[in-house]
Amino acid sequence: MKAIKGKSFFGGVHINDMKYLSCNAVTEVLPAPEEVAISTLQSLGKPATCCVNVGDKVKKGQLIADADGVVSSDVFSSVSGEVVKILELVGAHGVTEKYIVIKNDMLETEQYFNALENPTPEQIKERIKEAGIVGLGGAGFPTAVKGAPKTPVDTLILNGAECEPYLTCDHRLMVENTDEIVRGAKLIAKAIGVSNIIIGIENNKPDCIAAFEKYEDIKVVSLKKKYPMGSEKHIIYATTGRKVGVGKLPADSGVIVQNVATAFAVCEAVEKGKPLFERIVTVSGKAVKEPKNLWVKLGTPVKDIIAYCGGEACSPKKIVQGGPMTGVALANYDEYTHKTTSGVLLLTEKEAAKNNPTPCINCGRCADACPMLLMPMNTEFYAAAGDYENAAKLGNTLSCIECGACEYVCPANRPLIQAIRKTKAAVCAKKC
Amino acid sequence: MDNNIVISTPPHIKGKRTTKCIMLDVLIALIPAAVMGVVYFGLKALLLEAVAILGAVATEFVYYFIAQGGFKDKCANALETCKKWLNQFDFTSAITGLILALIVPVTVNWYEVLIGSVFAVAVVKMLFGGTGKNLVNPAITGRIFMFISFTLTVFIAPNFEAIKWWDLSANLIPDDGVLQVGATVLSGNLLQGKGVGTSLLDLLLGSGVAGCIGETCKVAIIAGYIYLCARKIIKWWQPLLVVLSCGVLGTVLMSVQKEAFDIAFFLPSILSGGLLFGAVFMATDYVTSPKGFAGQVIYYVAIGLFTALLRHYTKIEVISFTIMLLNLVVPLIDIYTVRKPFGYKKTSKEGK
Repeated sequence: MKAIKGKSFFGGVHINDMKYLSCNAVTEVLPAPEEVAISTLQSLGKPATCCVNVGDKVKKGQLIADADGVVSSDVFSSVSGEVVKILELVGAHGVTEKYIVIKNDMLETEQYFNALENPTPEQIKERIKEAGIVGLGGAGFPTAVKGAPKTPVDTLILNGAECEPYLTCDHRLMVENTDEIVRGAKLIAKAIGVSNIIIGIENNKPDCIAAFEKYEDIKVVSLKKKYPMGSEKHIIYATTGRKVGVGKLPADSGVIVQNVATAFAVCEAVEKGKPLFERIVTVSGKAVKEPKNLWVKLGTPVKDIIAYCGGEACSPKKIVQGGPMTGVALANYDEYTHKTTSGVLLLTEKEAAKNNPTPCINCGRCADACPMLLMPMNTEFYAAAGDYENAAKLGNTLSCIECGACEYVCPANRPLIQAIRKTKAAVCAKKC
Repeated sequence: MDNNIVISTPPHIKGKRTTKCIMLDVLIALIPAAVMGVVYFGLKALLLEAVAILGAVATEFVYYFIAQGGFKDKCANALETCKKWLNQFDFTSAITGLILALIVPVTVNWYEVLIGSVFAVAVVKMLFGGTGKNLVNPAITGRIFMFISFTLTVFIAPNFEAIKWWDLSANLIPDDGVLQVGATVLSGNLLQGKGVGTSLLDLLLGSGVAGCIGETCKVAIIAGYIYLCARKIIKWWQPLLVVLSCGVLGTVLMSVQKEAFDIAFFLPSILSGGLLFGAVFMATDYVTSPKGFAGQVIYYVAIGLFTALLRHYTKIEVISFTIMLLNLVVPLIDIYTVRKPFGYKKTSKEGK
């Protein structure tokens, strides 16, 4: 269907998206690494329970950790080989994660599920759960939980906004695997029983919009280029005009949002029986020699990825896993990819944010940029004084989506997101 | 790979605009008004502007030097402290000094401006914690300090030749030609109900009009306003709210007084006095204005209304007093105008 124009929302920032570095790089498959270290914590919620022992032979696609509870996801081996170590490491998020280290035997023996033909909704839901699919946009919310809404839903929104600068993994996927995404979306729609499928794409990706316009049964919405357009609440507003209330889920407004990469994963899981163990990772930034989009197996060391892209062009100031606005800064290359790793960025000193805060001059730019209509300056002011109660009350901090727009525009370089996270943690600790 | 990798919370990229850039923009926006002041009032105006800026910057430096321990250990760290000061210098004190010079008449003595700017920076700004921590606008408070201390020189509004053909009452111009108390268009004629006495074009250009150095040439102020809006330093509606609310209430009050609707009062009342300058450069000061949209609307309208009200009953220009007054209630406005997050309204409706 011909693309229609989406709504805009209050606030947000216009960021130089830097996507030109990698948006034309056709995806390549990263050669399987010698050794992978797969974390059992691959989604929001609880880490999965490890179900292999040291010395076990595993196949590619074999279950190695079992989901623990509802909000958790199964973890599969991304290579065939032998489990050599199970160790605990502190991940980039500062959380201790259990890593299952598998030595690759390069035989690529597979163990997939059966392919499903003409599946029933129940079968699709079951497959999404057993294939360990999580939201691949960044948060990693288990897709199976989203697929079982408690309120009636009438629309499925595919999130192809990719508003984060630098990242082009969804862009490449949408151009190269359009058909699979559409089939995956139809499967998800069938599972939750809706027929209305909308895809929202930012208008800085005209090739993606053109690719989806060919499908008659999918509504394409061209979104204004604005950060954070890809935030769940904002893409719902931009495509359907519905507002999701504070503390509510999208399903309460009758919508389910899925990332395009998630739709692709669902298609693979149902049609080929392939569990989720690899994804596209964008390697970009001015400090990497050849920016690329790579199919990377779960648990691949960041070191290998950088080496495949020609190494460093100059010494980076920051190494970021994920997008530059919400990603995690790494201390070194000794980190392993997760299901939610959408990018690895090496930022030069010029690109990276400086950390020298000057006094707040109360200019109000953070409030103007906040897409959630909060008051970040209040949070920062009271949190600095240790008054977290007032910080949360006067800044409405608990509604914050931590998009980072406020800190991006702050002329005084105030550490706003840090203050917001501290406040959230302090309030949660008090409630519990 | 070396060891200078930085780890921090996101975002890892940042906009280019810093406090220094913003303050430099404000300084640029003030240039037309400062230049026109020199054109109309001569080199004395330039001297006052220079003295005020130097005084303000020097005060900030000295305060910083002492506070950072520049004199400790027989000035061992003096050079380092100077460098540190240069690094953190963000032009705010220069703006304070320049604004202070622009809102006093050219008749003041240079040492009076110096005292005013030292007071503004040292007492109003630095004692409260420096940039971003002051409760009231330093320049305005400096002016009020001068107003109280040197009433005779500050209160006289100087003029130039054109004043001779003014239709002023005799008692305002003594025989020796030196103007007396409050002989601007606003306080001398307009608020006394005597009509404008000069053409609107003269008021707009500031030619032949009594007033303060930077406040007379409205065209220069409007040029600064357009620059500030184009650079997105201020929002275009902020000064307009002040000016319009003041003009409307002033007209209404004047009409009530004359018992006849007097629209002719509207334009002269907003074009005379320091209203425009105050609205564009002083009311919009970030530090002392509210944070949210609702708070800002209340603040700017209140400034306009209070100015009109006080102007009407005191018959003098009061914009600096009203801004200072409203500065003091800003923290209160802020607490009561916290906005509701995205999607809030809908949930409250559903809750019912």
